[in-house]
Amino acid sequence: MDATAQILFGGLFQGSLYAMMAVGLALIWTTIGVFNFTHGVMMMLGAYIAWTLSEIGLPFALVLPLVIVVMAAVGWALQASVVRPLIGRPNIVLVVVITTLAAASLIENATLEIWGPRSKQLPPLIAGNTTILGVGVSLHQIAIIVIAPVVLAALWFFLNRTRLGLALRAVAQNEDASLLVGLNVKALYGLAFAISAALAALAGIFMGGYRFMSPVMGADPLLKALIVVVFGGLSSVSGPIFAAYLIGFFEAICSYYFGLYWTPALLFAVLIVTLMIRPEGIFGSKSRGLA
Amino acid sequence: MSALLEVQSLTAGYGRIDVLHDISISVGTHGNVGLFGPNGHGKTTLLRTISGLLKTKSGTITFDGKPIANASPRSIVDMGLIHVPQGNRLFPDLTIAECLTLGAYTKRARADEAANREKVVKIFPKLAERWRQKVRTLSGGERQMVSIGTALMGSPKLLILDEPTLGLAPKIKEELCASVLDISKGGVPLIVVEQDVEFLLELSQHLYLINHGEVATEIKPGETMDHAEIMALYFGQ
Repeated sequence: MDATAQILFGGLFQGSLYAMMAVGLALIWTTIGVFNFTHGVMMMLGAYIAWTLSEIGLPFALVLPLVIVVMAAVGWALQASVVRPLIGRPNIVLVVVITTLAAASLIENATLEIWGPRSKQLPPLIAGNTTILGVGVSLHQIAIIVIAPVVLAALWFFLNRTRLGLALRAVAQNEDASLLVGLNVKALYGLAFAISAALAALAGIFMGGYRFMSPVMGADPLLKALIVVVFGGLSSVSGPIFAAYLIGFFEAICSYYFGLYWTPALLFAVLIVTLMIRPEGIFGSKSRGLA
Repeated sequence: MSALLEVQSLTAGYGRIDVLHDISISVGTHGNVGLFGPNGHGKTTLLRTISGLLKTKSGTITFDGKPIANASPRSIVDMGLIHVPQGNRLFPDLTIAECLTLGAYTKRARADEAANREKVVKIFPKLAERWRQKVRTLSGGERQMVSIGTALMGSPKLLILDEPTLGLAPKIKEELCASVLDISKGGVPLIVVEQDVEFLLELSQHLYLINHGEVATEIKPGETMDHAEIMALYFGQ
């Protein structure tokens, strides 16, 4: 009972965080067809800005929406500076890997310069602990497990049930046709980055509430998100969400039975096996026309 | 009657290579316009420049009295000039219903969305049967119907069709031709590029032969021309 509860809880918790991260990566891939390596630093930057805002005394209820808005703007600006100028060039996928890696490195080091190397921590969303099924958990983690699916469902609703979401999905599939029905393609690219950065920032705030923050705190979640999107497939946004929870549970099982030491190796084994057997991902479709 | 669309001394192309050289056409004074001519001589390039997908190097394009050369495709669509590109693969992962909704994305078209949707269903009843089907699962003919239907959702004042029957089976082609004639009778002026000369003659009254990026011959209504002469223009004497 104890083991099951622990795995269940760990899986849900990790899965929630990975889903929040992976979905942003997938959103950018499905709309623009590029891979965004600044996703990890967006998460970190969100957490640091939240830390500064709460240090100057703002209540957390205000910090949360403020960080989301600020990070959406940062995402938009990032897109305008390191992605948009390259659209239409040959090899855009590779070039954007390089420009976003460079931007990530710059932002990471700027953070180190501005905020210093000392580890920081954010206040938890809800303070306190409780015991469920014989496992001690923090209320902060419970809050994340509850909030993440709500946020993801809202995103799904936005993409599948609103006109703007429809436009965002269309742009991914055929740029010329999008232009010819009158979509503002550039603005939609910006929007994809803005939403993605806001989601990453939210994940960063979640993470900063139970782990110490450092300028490189985004690197590991980015890597996990990468495993998730490869495993789940990148052709939709719902694929990575399910995949994130599967990977979360897989990680929880591995770390329970094999220990933390072996878990990354096993996760990469999953990545390699997926790439060998089903490179389009378990929820992906074979025939996608992007990139 | 002044021309709805006036292209004057247009030069355009890809990168440093000019495809169109000093081309002038006028649409809307003598009924539907048909463009024909050998492949690779600039018909599609001309249409892409008109709809704003390609930049103009020199010359002017006027639509509905306003200059549109180098305007964004979005503003051109919003004015009611709507282009159905060649071999349109449209949005493979969207359903038919979603494509039509996108067709009415501009503010101007949004007001008439319901009425336009009814119109499209009337012209292409087949589409209504498979409202929730994804475009990638449709046949070439059905996809072309969705493309044209999507364009109609934008309340076109002028509709550009680039080889609507390309690669279709004869029976489906016939069906599509009938629908296009219906659309034209419904009062939407057309610019059509078409390799099927019979269909082109039936549909359009004003013809341009595009050759080497120039207007080689213009045929106005009254200056009728029989099949043999067109063939001669096409393939040389």
